[in-house]
Amino acid sequence: MMDAGRHPNIEVLTNSELTHLDGRAGSFRATVRKNPRYVSEELCTGCGLCIDDCPVIVPNEFEVGMGARKAIYSPFPQAVPNTHIIDREHCLNDDFLVCNNCLNVCDRNAINFDDPGEEIRLDVGAVIVATGFDVYNASAIPSYGYGLYHNVLTNMELERLLNATGPTRGHIVRPSDHKVPRKIAFVQCVGSRGEGREAGCQYCSRFCCMNAIKDCLLVKQHESDIEELMVFYIDVRAAGKGFEEFYQRSLGMPELKYVRGRPSKIIEDPQTRDLIISVENGETGEVSKVRADLVVLSTGAVAAASNRDLAEVLGINLDENSFFEVEPRYGSPLHTAREGIYVCGCAAGPNDISDSVAQGSGAAAEAEVFTAKLPAEEEPLVKEELDISGPPRVGVFLCHCGINIAGVLDIEELKEVAKNIPDVVYVEDNLFLCSDEGQRLVQEKIVEHRLNRVVAAACTPRTHEPIFRESCDQVGLNPYLFEMVNIRDQCSWVHTKVPKIATKKARDLIGMGVARARHLQPLYRKTIPVNQSVLVIGGGVAGMCAALELEAQGMKVYLLEKEGRLGGILNNLTRVYPANLSAFELARTMVEKIKASRVEAMASTEVNSITGFVGNFDVSTTNGNFRVGAVVVATGAHIYKPQGEFGYGRFENVITNQELENILHESKDGIHVNGKTPGTVLFIQCVGSRDTEKDTGCSRFCCPTTIKQAIRLRENGVNVVVLHRDVRTVGAKAEEHYRHARELGVKFIRYTPERLPHVSGRDQRAEQVEIRELALHQTLEIDVDYVVLAAGMVPNEQSTAKLHDILKVPLGADGFFMERHAKLGPVESTTEGVFLAGCVSGPKDIADSIAQGAAAAAKVASLISHDTVALEPTTCVVDQTLCRACGRCVEICDYHAPSLVEVAPGLKAAQINQALCKGCGTCASWCPTGAIAAMHFTDEQIDSMMEALLAG
Amino acid sequence: MVPKGIKANGVLVLGGGITGIQAALDLASSRIKVYLVEKSPSLGGRMAQLDKTFPTMDCAI
Repeated sequence: MMDAGRHPNIEVLTNSELTHLDGRAGSFRATVRKNPRYVSEELCTGCGLCIDDCPVIVPNEFEVGMGARKAIYSPFPQAVPNTHIIDREHCLNDDFLVCNNCLNVCDRNAINFDDPGEEIRLDVGAVIVATGFDVYNASAIPSYGYGLYHNVLTNMELERLLNATGPTRGHIVRPSDHKVPRKIAFVQCVGSRGEGREAGCQYCSRFCCMNAIKDCLLVKQHESDIEELMVFYIDVRAAGKGFEEFYQRSLGMPELKYVRGRPSKIIEDPQTRDLIISVENGETGEVSKVRADLVVLSTGAVAAASNRDLAEVLGINLDENSFFEVEPRYGSPLHTAREGIYVCGCAAGPNDISDSVAQGSGAAAEAEVFTAKLPAEEEPLVKEELDISGPPRVGVFLCHCGINIAGVLDIEELKEVAKNIPDVVYVEDNLFLCSDEGQRLVQEKIVEHRLNRVVAAACTPRTHEPIFRESCDQVGLNPYLFEMVNIRDQCSWVHTKVPKIATKKARDLIGMGVARARHLQPLYRKTIPVNQSVLVIGGGVAGMCAALELEAQGMKVYLLEKEGRLGGILNNLTRVYPANLSAFELARTMVEKIKASRVEAMASTEVNSITGFVGNFDVSTTNGNFRVGAVVVATGAHIYKPQGEFGYGRFENVITNQELENILHESKDGIHVNGKTPGTVLFIQCVGSRDTEKDTGCSRFCCPTTIKQAIRLRENGVNVVVLHRDVRTVGAKAEEHYRHARELGVKFIRYTPERLPHVSGRDQRAEQVEIRELALHQTLEIDVDYVVLAAGMVPNEQSTAKLHDILKVPLGADGFFMERHAKLGPVESTTEGVFLAGCVSGPKDIADSIAQGAAAAAKVASLISHDTVALEPTTCVVDQTLCRACGRCVEICDYHAPSLVEVAPGLKAAQINQALCKGCGTCASWCPTGAIAAMHFTDEQIDSMMEALLAG
Repeated sequence: MVPKGIKANGVLVLGGGITGIQAALDLASSRIKVYLVEKSPSLGGRMAQLDKTFPTMDCAI
């Protein structure tokens, strides 16, 4: 958020909307109406004096109405921009009394009640629609009593209660009596997956299951006295990378109980204001009334109310749920029917954050095709550096992180301790150092107190160090003179119950941080040239999509495919959900586009080796050698091969989804197997997936695949039974297909891993499946002609192992490649210049893989559109006068950074390639002569930390 | 297909939530001018209202 506010190429227009658009892709003319803020963005410093003096108090939208704000306000502490805004609807100046308090108190004259707003005309090449969703209005379901009963909240309201900046500073209380609830019930699918007379939408909102599980864990963390957490659900849809594992973790919580059933009614006990939930347990068939202190309704996503007007301005259509309609022709979730306009995130339907992020990047790649680049940036002016000579002058900044830190640690004590550490000349604390205001504070104090070392005791450097470093850089303090101490994750979070000891640990860590900071030295980034071509490994849908996007942006692309032809998994499918596209047509269109393009596609080609580093990879393949600046890994995954489960291999009529797909592919009219239509086909879901022992997550695509096949069979008169654990139809239109399948008469029966279905038969043919029907308390025996196993997706072990060796991209416990960040970096790897797309990082369907292919292209483009790339200077260097060329560093480095070179005739010494070195320091700790130093972790720095710890 | 010659300077991104911000940042770092248009007074969208995100429990803001 702050990055977007700070980027020189981004003009942020808040309080604004698009009012007119004409022209076409490559040359749109847009009119944007900037509504008046009545406070000048140039003049307002966000000091807040006007807010203090404003007499009007109204409910705060950001707190979902649970908090208050003034008529002049800042939407939330970390708002970008942090300019205040006047809500004229509530401001007294539009009343009989003219108050003018804000006008009088503002000494910058930033307030202008006559602000007319502005009309801005823009020429743009493309438009990206990322307007998000509205939250379903829970009061539309009267039987749940939202808005009527005090203690019925929505998930968004709970989210604010849990938040340290929220109205209760992170405490969960019942609105009726402000007591901490002991029993909380979550009701899922409120407004989603609607049935019959109920209000709401028919689709699945996709994120609410995971959100409820997360909230349960957080509630327990915030209020340890919680006795019971209940989740009333239809299916637990933990369908995404790492989600199933997260769900399994929650099953280990003794307080948390999952009850399968959608409550029919909630009533309030007028005396206690407790809530009584009527629900039929779908597993036992038992109808019960459950009492809870607080009910949380998991409200889903609905199309934004503004979609209709915006669609008209954009000249594109809305779908039946009023989300922006995706053009199905391309199999991509990003294209609208109008060229040059792309849709991403929840504007096209419910999505979780990681898919939204991937789609955002993907839409960027599509838009780049129609847009000219700005001229290459000139050499950045050498910034005036602050004078850091003389003894260290350390500033220590303590962050409260709302109550995340300050709720546990004694901040005052830590401040006192910090003040007494040698060379500390300034100490300050702040509610949120990461806010714009917090960062400005750090910058001001650096200049004011001539600080030459800065220590932030706050959260994790993984997400926040770059923000602090950039702030230091902006005022001329070398960013490597900044040190971050993580007193949240390592103190207040893990030692919540022992605040004294947690504070003691924080004292030690701060002492160590300051000790190290005193020895920090400025480091400078070097730049290296970037080769303007790209290697895409894998010619499946994700790889082809990445290659086409990159080629359209004018890059030289090498596309490698191990098999004899492009297409990957598309070659084995008949139809692709949700739009029932022909897989053959989709593959053919993409392959033809590749052939017509300048992409250098090489089939039957494998990578031998890749050496080098970001911007300069030397690639050797079975089909020639070349150099590229970036690598996209899109080698896909394998479909799990059942290992004898449910009679697979023993009975010839026990097959997988994939094998059924082949049969369906060959039978053009009707479904014939060995010349006749089968009577009953039974599907068994989650084969090879959701296995906690094998660390396999949910494969995500198998439920929609089974339903797609079930519908096709059912339409041909076949009886279809699906045995499932949860039906996880989370993608676009997937829930609607599930409903359609049930309407057609496909039977869905649930099984649990404790009581697996049993397949029996003779003479190599399965004849019967036995399954315990939970709600009926009965064992059913179903005669079958075919058993279809929904085999999940597993990593392609051979190729991932090889690429892991070559590219040093880490693998997760599930065997898939790990992303840089599960949510915020879904197509980046931890190796610079190497990107991931499609199933290589976890199971995905075709649409998600296409979005990821485009997203990877966008990431490559942001690297390659610059002629040079800056290298991290936090590497290791060799003092060649001390090196005796033993070669130990060359042997132990995982990244091939050190090598022995001749420094004088006959004299060798080690040298470390700065572009390959990760600065891990392994070589430095091994070097027998002490010739190697890790630049940002010198012996001196580490020794001083140890001394500080032992002294404290 | 639009002739490849026609290219305006800039992309209009509608929506300043996590998706729009991601798109804007990717474009901007590819040396493309971005106009990021948000209806409300601040960037951030829904994610700014959340406390933590599943499954890594990272801070949402």
